[in-house]
Amino acid sequence: MIDNLMLGLETAVSPENLLWCFVGVLLGTVIGLLPGLGSTTGVAILLPVTLAFEPVTALIMLAGIYYGSQYGSSISSILISTPGDSSSVVLTLDGYQMARKGRAGAALAISALASFFAAIISLIGLIALAQPIAKFALNFGPAENLAIILLGMATIVSFAGENILRGITMAAAGLLVSMVGVASGFSTARFTFGSVNLLSGLDFVAVMIGIFAVGEVLHQIRRGGEKPIRARFKDLLVTKEELTRSAPAAARGTALGFAVGVLPGAGATLATFLAYGVEKQVSKFKHLIGKGAPEAVASPEAANNAAANASFIPTLALGIPGSGTTAVLLGAFVIFGLQPGPLLFQQEPELVWGLLVSFFFGNLILLVLNLPMAPVFAQILRIPYVFLYPIVLMMSFVGAFALGNNTFTLWIVFFAGLLGYFMKRFDFPAAPFVLGLVLGPLLEKYLVQTSALGDGNLFIMFQRPFSLILTSAALIALAYPLVSAVVRNLRTRKAGAKVKEDVTQ
Amino acid sequence: MSTATDTEKIPPRNKPDLADVVGTSILGVVGGFAAIMGFHYGLTVEGGQVGPGMLPCLTGAFIFLASAAEIFRLFFARVGTSGGRIMSVVEDIEATAAESIDAVAESHPDDDSSGDLDTFGRTEKQRNRAPFYIFLTFGVALALIPVLGLIISLAAAILFLLLVVEKQKWWTSAATTIGAAVFVYIVFGLVLSVPMPTGLLGLI
Repeated sequence: MIDNLMLGLETAVSPENLLWCFVGVLLGTVIGLLPGLGSTTGVAILLPVTLAFEPVTALIMLAGIYYGSQYGSSISSILISTPGDSSSVVLTLDGYQMARKGRAGAALAISALASFFAAIISLIGLIALAQPIAKFALNFGPAENLAIILLGMATIVSFAGENILRGITMAAAGLLVSMVGVASGFSTARFTFGSVNLLSGLDFVAVMIGIFAVGEVLHQIRRGGEKPIRARFKDLLVTKEELTRSAPAAARGTALGFAVGVLPGAGATLATFLAYGVEKQVSKFKHLIGKGAPEAVASPEAANNAAANASFIPTLALGIPGSGTTAVLLGAFVIFGLQPGPLLFQQEPELVWGLLVSFFFGNLILLVLNLPMAPVFAQILRIPYVFLYPIVLMMSFVGAFALGNNTFTLWIVFFAGLLGYFMKRFDFPAAPFVLGLVLGPLLEKYLVQTSALGDGNLFIMFQRPFSLILTSAALIALAYPLVSAVVRNLRTRKAGAKVKEDVTQ
Repeated sequence: MSTATDTEKIPPRNKPDLADVVGTSILGVVGGFAAIMGFHYGLTVEGGQVGPGMLPCLTGAFIFLASAAEIFRLFFARVGTSGGRIMSVVEDIEATAAESIDAVAESHPDDDSSGDLDTFGRTEKQRNRAPFYIFLTFGVALALIPVLGLIISLAAAILFLLLVVEKQKWWTSAATTIGAAVFVYIVFGLVLSVPMPTGLLGLI
């Protein structure tokens, strides 16, 4: 472990990597605080820019954009009640209330400190867990890998909220889109409708640029903009009471965020809502939550960053993205010819450990940047969006072209943008769709391999102990919310019928 | 003993949005189509092993059934029957946050004119139309790439959007367009050496 950390340190502190880490977190902060541009959008738009870099440098910069934008999106949530990212939505409650009470600076400082604390603790967890999990996963065969992907998809469904069916349908729709082109292991072209351009499938990074960059930006245009609350430098001083109240909340948020973030598909957004919910239950000052309580800023913010780091565990160790942004990052790995998963730790130790150690420096840079500079960053919110969005759209299209030097990619971005816009407008969740899209090829690969292993009998998944456990867990995770929803509805109906009967009597 | 107040406690049925029904129906149709295509590609290959059509067929059938169930839920589920679950805590907070964001969006404390205007000075009607115009503009720009080239087409689209859709002053629109085009050309054309299509014009 120490050797690996030293190797990672050596890679991370090279002047080039440190510079691009700095650029990444800076750009991430700026992107994150712009309404409508979250971490997924940021990584998707800037991924093509990193094509000329060494893989490790590119991934360090892209990861920097990821956690940088987590900080940035908190700024816009607190100052204009407009989250840059879905994981900062919850900060529009108490963060914005603190800002309205003249404690904008304190809210920003608490958010930065809680983020840093969570990032460092969760990084330790990430470093401690990722390699052992990857090592354990080396024993997996196709059946186990298939079971893990099924479990990942079932997790997405379980956490899809009230609209479970819609979540699962979108994940399946993502799977379906991933099947366009020549099937891997076969020579059959699927859903190509005679188009040569579709034979190699839809470039999923282009689809993501369309959905997250074009779709989100246009949705933001439709929504309009707000004027930010001014945060002054002198307000950045946090009072002793605010710090005392925030510290245990940040610890709780970190633990919860890490636990949720490890689950593939659960993501940081869910972690922030759960952390806020927990604070409402356990905080000594729960009566103040919703009215500008610092613990309700610290806990979700800590959960957000802890979950973001934890989502790298399934991504790096198993090759299963833990969130929408890690799904795009997974695309970056593939573009650089790397396959995230158990073998990555053995084959590319310098890259993996360099990336993990860079998280520490990136978060340190963010803290140093954000603590004194948050009010300066906030000035970006005053730039009229009218001038920003055309540039973002141009970057998105040209960046997508750079992925494969093919004008057909531009049309993929265009139509994916249209799809993303309508998905956002009519509340069809994008994260399950993207995870389905990314996991599709892997799912099919392992399905075909498992079928070959069992001579067409897929029940071998129930004959191997670990795949039996995972498949059963996936089935339970999938069935439980659906069955319980049906039961609840039936109960309500039964109760309604009884009341009606009593009334008529 | 029951009274009329008990009847009031029965949650009413959902009133589905047309968009939800249309969107879910489209998904259902796509799913059904994919399932049929899956059969066409072949569910199994020799030895009864999984063939190229198996996953499209299963996924398509699943989408079809899930969409049908979702439409059923949209029409027949009762409001408020989702309580008591782990996720309902999350949903409650999400709803509170959404209300809070909407309240801020609607209040516009600094706006002394119509409450309908956002900070871009646009009415809700204009905001609803803007994405349509933007998509149309970029669609035309993409179609013009073989003639004008990538950078010039997209730059023309930006200029059009700023001047016509956003009604900005011509010099700020021109400066923004030129700035964006130069930036993109430097990053992608010069630094990354991306061979960008120059079209029939053959300029940049």
